[in-house]
Amino acid sequence: MESKIGVYICECGPNISEKVDIDKVIDAVKDLEGVAVVERYKLLCSEDGKKFLVEQIKKHGLTHLVIAACSPRDHEKTFREVCENAGINPFLFQLANIREQCAWITDDKDEATKKSIRLTKAAIRRVRYHTSLEKKEIEGNPDVLVIGGGIAGIETSLQLASPVRKVYLVEKTSSLGGLINTFEKIYPNMELGSDLIKQKNLEIEKNENIKVFTETEVEKVVGFLGNFEVTVKKTSQDNSSQDFNVGAIVLATGSRLFDPKLTPQYGYGKLDNVITSLEFEKMNLSGKISLKNGKSPATIAIINCVGRDKKGYCSEICCMYSLKFIRYLKEKISNIKVTNFYSDLCIPGKRQQKFYEETKGKNIDFVRSKDIEVNKKADKLEIKYKDENGSKKNLSADMVILAPAVEPTIDASKIAEITSISQGNGGFFAEEHEKLAPISTSTEGVYIAGCAHGPKNIFDSITQAEAASGKILTSLIPGRKIEPEIKVSHISESLCIGCKTCLTVCSYGAISFDEAKKISVVNEVICRGCGNCVAACPSGAANIKHFTFNQLYQEIMEAIQ
Amino acid sequence: MSQPEEKNKSTVISVKKDLNTAIIDFLKEGIDKQVFDDVIIPMRVPAKDSFAYVLVRNKSILNDGFFLPPVMPVQGGRMVSSVTRLGKKDKKTAIIMRPCETRATIELAKLGQTNLDNLILISMDCPGVMPISDFLKDTNKQLKNFEDSANNLDDKIMRPVCQICDKSSMISGDLHIGTLGAKKGSFYLISNSEKGNELIEKMGLKQNENINSWKEKVKKISEEKKKKRINKNKELKKKIGGLDNLTDAFGKCINCHNCMSVCPVCFCRLCYFESDKVKQPSDDYLSRAKSKGSIRFLPDTMLFHIGRMEHMSLSCVSCGACEDVCPVDIPIAQIFTMIADETQGLFDYVSGRSLDEPIPFVAYKEEELTDMEDSND
Repeated sequence: MESKIGVYICECGPNISEKVDIDKVIDAVKDLEGVAVVERYKLLCSEDGKKFLVEQIKKHGLTHLVIAACSPRDHEKTFREVCENAGINPFLFQLANIREQCAWITDDKDEATKKSIRLTKAAIRRVRYHTSLEKKEIEGNPDVLVIGGGIAGIETSLQLASPVRKVYLVEKTSSLGGLINTFEKIYPNMELGSDLIKQKNLEIEKNENIKVFTETEVEKVVGFLGNFEVTVKKTSQDNSSQDFNVGAIVLATGSRLFDPKLTPQYGYGKLDNVITSLEFEKMNLSGKISLKNGKSPATIAIINCVGRDKKGYCSEICCMYSLKFIRYLKEKISNIKVTNFYSDLCIPGKRQQKFYEETKGKNIDFVRSKDIEVNKKADKLEIKYKDENGSKKNLSADMVILAPAVEPTIDASKIAEITSISQGNGGFFAEEHEKLAPISTSTEGVYIAGCAHGPKNIFDSITQAEAASGKILTSLIPGRKIEPEIKVSHISESLCIGCKTCLTVCSYGAISFDEAKKISVVNEVICRGCGNCVAACPSGAANIKHFTFNQLYQEIMEAIQ
Repeated sequence: MSQPEEKNKSTVISVKKDLNTAIIDFLKEGIDKQVFDDVIIPMRVPAKDSFAYVLVRNKSILNDGFFLPPVMPVQGGRMVSSVTRLGKKDKKTAIIMRPCETRATIELAKLGQTNLDNLILISMDCPGVMPISDFLKDTNKQLKNFEDSANNLDDKIMRPVCQICDKSSMISGDLHIGTLGAKKGSFYLISNSEKGNELIEKMGLKQNENINSWKEKVKKISEEKKKKRINKNKELKKKIGGLDNLTDAFGKCINCHNCMSVCPVCFCRLCYFESDKVKQPSDDYLSRAKSKGSIRFLPDTMLFHIGRMEHMSLSCVSCGACEDVCPVDIPIAQIFTMIADETQGLFDYVSGRSLDEPIPFVAYKEEELTDMEDSND
């Protein structure tokens, strides 16, 4: 069938009409091959404009549509819908961007007009080589994979599990609870950590829609929102693996402590009675706070910000848990003397200040200090430091508790790679937008909760868990269909030489290798149409629908004519 | 330059009659001791006017082995790929090739075009090869000529790229036959891999012999050649740099695509430039002619070379096969060598040096080549 292309140029109010001589553009394109009609219109994206386009397509029996207007990011979708409403395939349409790329970038009307002509001509030439593409629909899977069984992972699982939504909770250690398992009490209300975990464990056990995998790690994730193929593997026993499909993933992999051996001035690992905050929590939980020689300490120094300079961020929680440690100590050792060395006391929040006021008191000193050094002196530890005024001071203590920086869990990079998301500051998982999308990641359908995102207290971790759950509840509604990408890659069986280059560059795990035929094959449901494989394929075997070599070639040739 | 690591073994093998016979005896022993089942080695073709790689099982045929033939009619990397691409079965094959052929084999293995399972790659110190057209003028005389030149380490009659080859003793396979610096009546057998170590062990050869004299000699030759190479590249760059000079350099190309057909690392099933993708409706040629003033036919001659450079320069082993077959004497291998040295240098990559080095275009890093970005600003 002869192609009948309709070309419509949008004035975009004054945006385009004042900067581009639209009549000249019309003149330049009206006689091009296949062009049946060229018109200008004041605002094509308006309701009237859309109605006008539908009428035009029907009236002239158009087969293809070219619109010269704004960026495809603005209205490509709008005009594709117009095509559908008028009964032509939405991919037999091309948008030339004469606003952002012409009208808005120069005051020279001549130049803007010349470029508009080139872009419109290129779009007309390109559209002649377009082919119809059909939409696909698959059922979105409402189930969720939660990686990490700490408080954020537990809370996410409990929020989401329901008769219509199964949750797979994967934990690499042998039990749920994460770091809270080591905490006797939780600030600021000083409730028992064990109570919280016991209660949460019970809720999880009771919930038949949560499947818990302990001593298990996630091996592989491919797919996208509504359709992730997941492989998990037991770390113990037989290393058996299991595959399942979920619609979304929550990364709640938590944190660990910076290794204080990397800051040798604190003597950790060399001197007795220099311990980390987590070691102190465990000691306290075991029931006896004691020195190496079994005696009870009389003087204790808590040093905050260990490793802060190296990491380049504040770990947020150390000041508060140091206050909690002072509470433990006051409660358990009479007449204990505690000195808390801090560089900036960070205690924001509506209850925190009060907790601090209540902790202060006799024998409790808060010293703003820097250049701290811990050495052994006789059977005690000597802490040398500079005070706020820069004067050198020292203090003797029986025990030193270090509050090291909070770091992402050891396998954060592996998980980032498996789920194709990036790591930001300090190696924590990067959010999609610092303010506007703090739970989402660059991979749609993968969310972050808790300390995997950055240092956080329990309250904030739970808040994030609830937020991630909210995101999933609104995007993965059971029974709702999802549309996989239409403009996907295709690898020619006759041209592929099987070098596997595409497998390395595919960010979505959408390409597999057919060992029998020795060629690469694209899974069209997983492919997102990014084009990496097309660019990397040395044999020109990979091609992307709607961005074929020929379509691009034709467009470019016309544009540079 | 890659040197065998200390953990790898090396040995000295004595030569009773001549090097060729000694290698044949070594291969026979390998088959007898079941270290490998068969061998692929170069032999003279029956008409005696050229050489070919032959897969040999029968020990008596091994006597016709001709190592370091004076010409390279088929690049070994291409040969190994063609027989192993679809998988290698359980029989072990030892292959003796030149270093650039072994490197092409390694490069093709990275590209999934060669299966190294059950292959033992053995390279040799290479004196270079003659242009095939020179050899064919008088095969007997030229064979003598080649042997004399090789013995005297004189590269004047060799291919131009062989004259500037600084990797003529580079070990990238499993074993290497080192003749340089060896005492008269012997050669070194140097291992570069687990497979190589295993072979030396299984053959019951004395291990961990000192190969310093080989290393020193190789270093000296390679440094001299490297200097020469840098100078030649500079001269050539002056001659062909810029669009006009480049157009002149390729002006006599007849579009035969021979260079592509013999290139070991040009492995596409169908070259883009032989596909319909580059063919345009005649109207398009007309409009191109209109905008440029005129258009040369066949079209895209120059684009073919630039495209091949862009595709293959990271993998080019500077073997010279392309230049050998160019009917119009374009110094194509020298041009590719110059380009390849720059592109590979950019990534500190040497094509085929080691299986452990990924080809740069699959090892993308977000933070790299920032200098290039800035210079384009």
